[in-house]
This record gives sequence, structure tokens and C-alpha cells, in this order.
Amino acid sequence: MSKILVVAEFKNGALKEGTKELLSEAGRLGIPADAVLIGEGVAGEADVAAGLGAQTVYVADAASLAIYHTLSYTQAVADAAQQSGASMVWLNSSEMGRDLTPRVAARLGVGALSDVTGVTVDGETVTVERPCMATKLIQKSRFKHSGVKVLSIRGGSFALNDQPACAANTVALTVPEADARLQTLGVEVEESNEISLTDAPVVVSVGRGVGGPEGAEKARPLTQQLGAALGASRAVCDAGWLPHKHQVGQTGTQVKPQLYVALGISGAIQHLAGMSDSKIVVAVNKDADAPIFKVADYGIVGDLFKALPALEESVAKLKG
Amino acid sequence: MDIIVLIKQTPDVALNIKVNDGALVEDGVSWVIGGWDETALEAALQMTEAAGGEVTVLSIGPARVQEALRKALAIGAHKALHVSCDSTDGWDSFQTASVLAKVLEGRSYDLILAGKQAQDSDSGLTPTMLAEFLNLPQVTNITGFSDLSDSEVTLRRKGDAGTEIFKMALPGLATVNDSMAEARLASMRGIMMAKKKPMEEVALDSLGLDASLLSTDGVMIETLGYETPQLQKEGRKFEGDEAETVPQVMQLLKDSTSLFA
Repeated sequence: MSKILVVAEFKNGALKEGTKELLSEAGRLGIPADAVLIGEGVAGEADVAAGLGAQTVYVADAASLAIYHTLSYTQAVADAAQQSGASMVWLNSSEMGRDLTPRVAARLGVGALSDVTGVTVDGETVTVERPCMATKLIQKSRFKHSGVKVLSIRGGSFALNDQPACAANTVALTVPEADARLQTLGVEVEESNEISLTDAPVVVSVGRGVGGPEGAEKARPLTQQLGAALGASRAVCDAGWLPHKHQVGQTGTQVKPQLYVALGISGAIQHLAGMSDSKIVVAVNKDADAPIFKVADYGIVGDLFKALPALEESVAKLKG
Repeated sequence: MDIIVLIKQTPDVALNIKVNDGALVEDGVSWVIGGWDETALEAALQMTEAAGGEVTVLSIGPARVQEALRKALAIGAHKALHVSCDSTDGWDSFQTASVLAKVLEGRSYDLILAGKQAQDSDSGLTPTMLAEFLNLPQVTNITGFSDLSDSEVTLRRKGDAGTEIFKMALPGLATVNDSMAEARLASMRGIMMAKKKPMEEVALDSLGLDASLLSTDGVMIETLGYETPQLQKEGRKFEGDEAETVPQVMQLLKDSTSLFA
């Protein structure tokens, strides 16, 4: 009998979209789901998880769990997995999920698959698709072992089917004791009024073609007009023209906006791996053979500094 | 401060990767040290430069992985350890981590470093499974370090809400994000010196591993095949005066999407 344990994540105290997507998909597959909520002040979200179909919600709520901690979170998830008797543990491919997935699997003595973009469940057989080789290939793999199957799934792989909250059947987990070998010192959150890359419906990214920090700043008016986040290629961030938090790609942030505008980005493979899932891509580049044009719906061969004012003017007109 | 850096020799993904009938074509592949692993080596060199000690690079595979190890020695690693076997084809992360745990049994180290993911699989599973098998604390995706001593290190990690900062007791394991440092290149002198640096070879067969672990029955994850995704879009290219092409494209965008609705 299949059952999925979804490991929840939170943003500003609320269940993340990614978590809701996993619960939605479990419902769509007709597989019963439980959820495990770990953090501080997260117990209140149990009802939200229940509304999305979680039959039992395991909760570890303590001040010591406020910041993600590999060892205590592993223990809580393994505990919930054993109590729930789930045949699968689903996590998001977030920074937390990437860290936690293999550790939980190894703790349970089983294999794992990460960064999954598609899951097929046929009885006991679980087959997945995941990108590899910097997204140049799609790998198809299946779990061969019996017992619980642990996988992390990329955000946006499944549609979200939001449901009203309802009263949850909750089970409190024993809060793991602090492991002195790993001590949390804090989290530095960069205060910013800028729209974050992960959430933005539109991303305007700049590449080496902007020539320097002044050139990079010239894209800002367009981002404001479009309500877009400002992205950048690795070259721009490594050169210090923009901080690393702007970096789009395999190492930086992987984005999937409605519209991605690439200005002066040639399209290194690691960059393409981080943005080629965007719904529509508009690229401006001087080099007609730049790889970015291979993933662009609309390629403008030209000078980005001439294109920018034209883009601003067009957007202003179209928004009318 | 002795550090072991896990190195995976992988195809250069910047070059053409070919698939034939679902299988990777190894012919014509250029084998390199994965980019993230190169950054892990750089981090290890910076740490030993700050606190003393030696860097050992460790890899599993056929004879060709010695090229990757020799390159790591040329870049600055002090010693290399090659776990030799005919092939690691079909191994999953669980098996690789199990072998590594066996290799490291009885060896002394303060820290194990690896790239945050391998350049070919992009999985990022093996190092963390190894940490669990060795019962070590871990911090993955590190972007910086400080306050390094023989007993602990402060590590900065790119987390979901910002930079998470941990003090980790040693021995421990960390994986490295490549924004941490630009990997240095091998110098002419480094290449000459690498030839004299120790390369220890340990045969996989001599490790006394449980035979079932590496048999096909021991495989947890079976890879069924690879496909080439349709990356090439049926896009349109516009050349000419930007003052004309840009409005044209934006009008098409408006007509075909709800972006400006």
C-alpha cells in the first residue's frame, strides 16, 4: 500500500507553495499522504496541510528547530517516516531538501533520487525523470529496492490545487536533542526591497555584455516597469558587477518565470540549466550565434544598450 | 588540519554529450574534474594554507581517474588516493558512499570536502550519505569559512532564507558551492612537482566489502536510460535596427500572452 510522507517547508511561517504542490500531486495520484512539519511556531500550519489532504500531520515544533539543522531535522523526518509507515518520502529540491534528502535516505538505509521533475507510480514501482549533465540530458531512473523511497522534487513540477484548511489529525514528535557537533550561529538575511528571483513572474537578467557595474544598473528601470526581478549571469557576479544573490543558473537560483529577458547573456550551459524552463524567453545579444538564442522564443540580434530604451518605450506603450 | 577532497572524474559537460539508444556515448568524451569538485579542492587548499596540514584527493574508478588525481596534485593537493576498479558504471550514490566509508575506515582526517554536486549526475547525494555512514556532522553548499582550528570550523551555507552560519566540530564533512572561490590553475612548477607526489592505489577488491553490496542486487537506484531534451526552441530571430525589432517583438509578446493584459 502506497503512502507518501511530505516534508513541509515554510516561508514567513506559512506552508511553501512547493510543499502544497507535493500534497496536491499525492491527491491527484490517489495516494494517501501524511506530512511532517518541523520548525518553530509551525504547528498552526497543520490544518493547512490537512486541508490539502494530509491524513496525519507529524509536528516537531521547538525554538531549537527555528533554523534548518541537518542532524535534528534528519532525526525528526526519520521518526515521522517510521511512525507513518510511508512507502515514499517526498521533499522539495530546495537548499533544505537537497541537504536533507540523502541524509534521511542513508539513515533509513535506502537509495535516493534528487532534483526530480517527474514521478510515475505504478504499484510498488516508482520511476522518475530528472535533468542531469547541466540539463543537457534527462535521466530516467527507478527505485530498485523495497522499502521507503526518498526523493526531492523540483518546485513547479506539479500543479498546485489549493484547498481550504481543515482540522488536522496531529501527532507530536519528540523534539530531537541538540547535537553539540553542529551549532547554529544564525542566519543572515539580506534586507532588500527587491523582488526575489524565485517568486518573480518576470526576470530581466544581464550578462557580460553590459560591460560593467554601470551597465548592469541600466537594466533596473526596465525591471521596475515589468515588476521583474534582476538576474545576472555567473560572469557578472564573479566580476562583482552585481552581488551573487542575483545569479541565475545551476549554482545561483534556478528560475521558471512567465517571461525571461536575457540582455547580453551568451548562454553558458550552467546558465541555460537555470532558466530554460522559463515560459517565454526574449534574448538580446550582439552575437547571432550565441547559445542563448537556442532557448529563446524571440531573439533580438543587436546592441543591448540600444535595445533597452526601445524595450522601456514599448513596455510603457503596451501597458498603456 | 588534514583534509580529504572527494573527486569525481566526469565528462566535460561544456562539450557535446551524446546519447545512443538511451546510453551515454563515452567515445570522444573529454574527462575532467567536476567544476564543483575543483572548487572543493580550492577550499581545501585555502584551509590548509590558513591552518597547516595536508590535502589528500580521493577518487574511485578505472586507470583514467589517475589523470584527474594527477591534475589535482598539480593544482596543489599533497597526496592522492586512487581506489581502482574496472568500472563504476551502474553504481548508485548509496554504493559509492558505502565504498568511500569503507576506504576511509581507519584513516585519519579532520575534514572531508566535496563539490555540492557532481558535474555529470548533478545529484549531490554521495557526500551526505557518506557523512551519515561515518556519523559525521555536515554542512552542505558552503560559500565561506572562518575560525578554523583543529577542533572546529565556522561555515557559511547558502540556505533557503539567506546565509546560514554553523560552527561544526571536526571531524566533519562539507560540500562546496562554486561561488565560494575561483579555483586556481595548475602552474608549470605544480605540474612538474605533481609527478613526484605520492599516488596511493588501493584495489577495490582488497577492501573486504560485502560482496552483495556491489552486486546488481545491491543497486538501490537503477538508471533506465537518458534522453536528450528538446532544448532547441522554434524561436524567431530578429535582426536589424533595435528601434524597429524591439517594438515588433514586444507586440508579438502582447498578442500571444497575457503579460500586458
